[in-house]
Amino acid sequence: MESIALTINGRKVTCRTGDSLLSVAEKNGIFIPTLCNHPDLKPYGACRMCLVEDEKSGRLMAACVTPAAKDMAVLTDTERIISHRKNIVRLMIAEHPESCIVCSKGNRCELRALAARLGVAETRLYPMPNYKPYEELNPFIVRDLSKCILCGKCIRADHELVAAGAIDYNDRGFPSRPATLMEKPLEESTCTFCGTCVSMCPTGALSPKHAGYVGTPEKEKDSVCGFCGAGCSLALGMAAQKVIEVNPSKVKGSVNGATLCVRGHFTHDYLNCEDRLYEPMIRVRGENGEPELRAADWSEAVSRAAETLAGIKRTHGPGSIAFIGSPRCSVEENYLFQKIARVLFGTNNVTSTATINGQALLRRMEEKTMGAARITPIAELEKAEAIVTVNSDMGHAVPVADYHVRRAARAGTPLVTIDTAKTGLAPFAGARIRPDNSTTDPEDRIPALISALVLKIADINGHDSDFVSRFTSGWDSYKTAAKKLLAGQPLSPAEENEIARAAEMLAGRKTAIILSPATMEQRHGARIAEASFNLALVSGSLGSRNAGIFIPSPESNTAGALDMGVVPDMLPGRIPLSDQDGREQLERFWNTKLSPDPGLDLSAIIEAAESGHLKGLYIMGENLLRFLPEPDRVEAALKNLDFIVVQDIIDTRTARLADVVLPAAAFAEKSGSFTNMEGRIQSFTPVAAAPGRALADWRILGLLAQKMGYPEQYATIEKIRQEIRKTIPMYAALGNQRQEWVKNSEKDTPFAGNGARFEFGPIEPHKPADTKPEKPFTAVLGSLRWHIGGGTRTARSSRMKKWNRDSHARLCPSDIVALGLEEGGRIRIVSDHGSIERSFIADSGLTSGRVFVPLGFHENDAVSLAGLKDLKPPAPAWRTCGVEIEKI
Amino acid sequence: MDPNQFDREKLHEIISNYRDRRWALIPLLQEVQEEIGFIPPESIEPIAEALNMFASQVQGVITFYSGFSLKPKGRYVLRVCRGTACHVKGSRSILRLVKKELELEEGETSPDYRFTLETVACLGACFLAPTMMVNRDYYGRLNPTKVASVLGEYRKDKEDD
Repeated sequence: MESIALTINGRKVTCRTGDSLLSVAEKNGIFIPTLCNHPDLKPYGACRMCLVEDEKSGRLMAACVTPAAKDMAVLTDTERIISHRKNIVRLMIAEHPESCIVCSKGNRCELRALAARLGVAETRLYPMPNYKPYEELNPFIVRDLSKCILCGKCIRADHELVAAGAIDYNDRGFPSRPATLMEKPLEESTCTFCGTCVSMCPTGALSPKHAGYVGTPEKEKDSVCGFCGAGCSLALGMAAQKVIEVNPSKVKGSVNGATLCVRGHFTHDYLNCEDRLYEPMIRVRGENGEPELRAADWSEAVSRAAETLAGIKRTHGPGSIAFIGSPRCSVEENYLFQKIARVLFGTNNVTSTATINGQALLRRMEEKTMGAARITPIAELEKAEAIVTVNSDMGHAVPVADYHVRRAARAGTPLVTIDTAKTGLAPFAGARIRPDNSTTDPEDRIPALISALVLKIADINGHDSDFVSRFTSGWDSYKTAAKKLLAGQPLSPAEENEIARAAEMLAGRKTAIILSPATMEQRHGARIAEASFNLALVSGSLGSRNAGIFIPSPESNTAGALDMGVVPDMLPGRIPLSDQDGREQLERFWNTKLSPDPGLDLSAIIEAAESGHLKGLYIMGENLLRFLPEPDRVEAALKNLDFIVVQDIIDTRTARLADVVLPAAAFAEKSGSFTNMEGRIQSFTPVAAAPGRALADWRILGLLAQKMGYPEQYATIEKIRQEIRKTIPMYAALGNQRQEWVKNSEKDTPFAGNGARFEFGPIEPHKPADTKPEKPFTAVLGSLRWHIGGGTRTARSSRMKKWNRDSHARLCPSDIVALGLEEGGRIRIVSDHGSIERSFIADSGLTSGRVFVPLGFHENDAVSLAGLKDLKPPAPAWRTCGVEIEKI
Repeated sequence: MDPNQFDREKLHEIISNYRDRRWALIPLLQEVQEEIGFIPPESIEPIAEALNMFASQVQGVITFYSGFSLKPKGRYVLRVCRGTACHVKGSRSILRLVKKELELEEGETSPDYRFTLETVACLGACFLAPTMMVNRDYYGRLNPTKVASVLGEYRKDKEDD
């Protein structure tokens, strides 16, 4: 780009063609006030506050929408401009209600700050407040459009950043306001309550709703969100050491920019919930002779845990103790946790619920890609040549990544969705491949549809033949097998059409393929993953940053917990336990002997507890009774154990079963790092004070190691990071900077050129549906954007407690008719394992024979439909189960 | 005539003629307004979908222009001019009279969907002040007798139906 010179206020400055006057002034430290400008939004010129004067002609121009030109001479603060600015502010204030003194925006109001700066006090204009209804029925956002100054930031954020399309200007002139479709309340619109508009609103027109008095934030500190695997940078607004408000951080290069989602923005009030654990507790015999939990000091509680567990190990052997870590705890904590299990207790019984919530797919793709494609930056989705989503409604799993896909599609990137249910991306998709309506088991058909797409792309010569011949093997036998598969499952004309359309869109393009993190947790999931991988190969999509396989992580550290080896059959650094070299190397680092036998997985732990083979359990940051299937059975199993330690931030049902309860600090209250879905390792430092005597998990684990007599002292987070950097090459950069990236595998990948090749996946024949006649429906247990996992944290948000809109089960309209159900009625959903009662709504996006039940609501009772036996790796298909539906 | 009984097939046809032509939102809306007499709110989402826009954007355009209406209008739309010249010539009294005669307030439509009463800022016929329009016809130099006779004409029309 050409460099041009101009003068601003007589000062010579240079910039590039196309820069706006406003941005040039800002870069040169010249202040121009503005109310409607935002660096992440397109310039708009709504507020006219940035007026500047052309020195030669005296013409007034809005600096935000005027491109800088060669030899321009611009004045930014002449008397004339100041007078204009003052008049504009006077007019705005004349239209504004006189409620500044009680406005929640208070001193943070940009209009008020600007009025003060310009010296506007009394407007000396006839006040004409534009009163509008005050809207606060939803628990998240208060809309007081009387205070709206029509800057359009909320509308532009809604369209340009999150692409929800909930609001736009309505009417013209004085009555004009941002409005939803038919001016319905936000909760009846397409608004997702991401709150991006709230953070941008310059006045008090949009503000977060609080349940009670919380005060005004005294300062803002940056952290990383502890919910999903996007890893958004947060600016936490603090008052009296407590987090009372959350906004997107202004830090450069963050995952989320100016956006957040409803969880990140509005549910962090769980940090201040009354169920937080404040002090260590141990189980003792109470006055009435019954065992009860009583407060203890740290030394006593940790000694009790260490001594009892050591005793169990001595008497019953290392296999009698199991450790359950957490995808919500940091990289450092999970490393230390599994090290304590493996080194101090000599057991590989170390796992977490992430193994049944996202990690199964991560692991499968790690194997298929040979560790050569661990880095998938979601911002690159906007630079993708084409995007395909497979069974993925990312707007619920990782909303911020979904925004990137929406933006890309709106900017013209070809988007193909392949799914069994209509997703939020459907309106943006150029082609929607979905199983024909007559299919009885739609999921079973997805692999065939993807295979047909792969063949079609090859047919029209749209495949990357260079990539296929250089880096892959098995292409020819794959084609034969795929054709055979399709011969047994012919396509319907509608499917054929849509696949042809999609193939045209994808031909010759490297493709970003987004899979649902729950893929492997559903029936036929392994085959769907396999088929999607083949699509990545045929389009030559591995090895580029803007293409490949993108897997949204359901929790903040799903990937980090896997990388740190909190799995029964894998060591830190994604080294299989069976890899003798890798094992021996770690043995040298740790100065110990490691067992090559895999430990117990989650369902095996419960079974071993039932049979009495397991005696002790150490649970860090996990509410097993809320997240695992068959909660009653899990509870009985846990009660059968001799000794349980629960280390958590919240007093959960699981914690109440413990013999030792150790109160931990939440992410905002400690140092650590999370590895997000992109492979980005983000480190954070404490922002808020932990409640009571709670300590960071890594400190508690350090105390435990010390009590167990381990010679290494883990007194600082840096000490743990040092050890990780040394022992795990994948994390060699951990903690150097605030943001680092994991390393791809260096050996044996096809890109290394030593003969290794990506393999086209086998095509397994389709399996007949295994539904029993008495359980004709398939229940799909899915997550919506309102809750994370089982909802232990999100359901403790005072805002989310008031939100029940999407808790209903969803049925296809024809099934509602067939079952004779009446609108507004309730149903009982009965599986082999349990039953729940629910209200229901019709969802025309579902195929017949399926019922969608959202997780997280109603104490997460939906999980009782699933069975523990389905948790078996490598494809723990617990999210789909056969059910019958009864009318109540 | 019940305006909610409009020709849905026609609406569907108009929308599909404009599919994927984002620039053609206004011509599309004009055609719907012309054919159906108003823009049925239920058509906003299909229009948005056909043009790959957000429904709120389509609504924004509809509510911006006074030529588009989301509510069914009467067979005869009266626009009484409230511009400066007409005001000086007594358009306030004319409006009051029309309201009384039709038993309608500004912006209202009679229950039989015969009349809709609106006001405008200027009809551009100041030399004829005070003025009003009924559909596409101008009526100038109004006085109470003339108003009564004009309204009478359109009322009489009713008996002819």
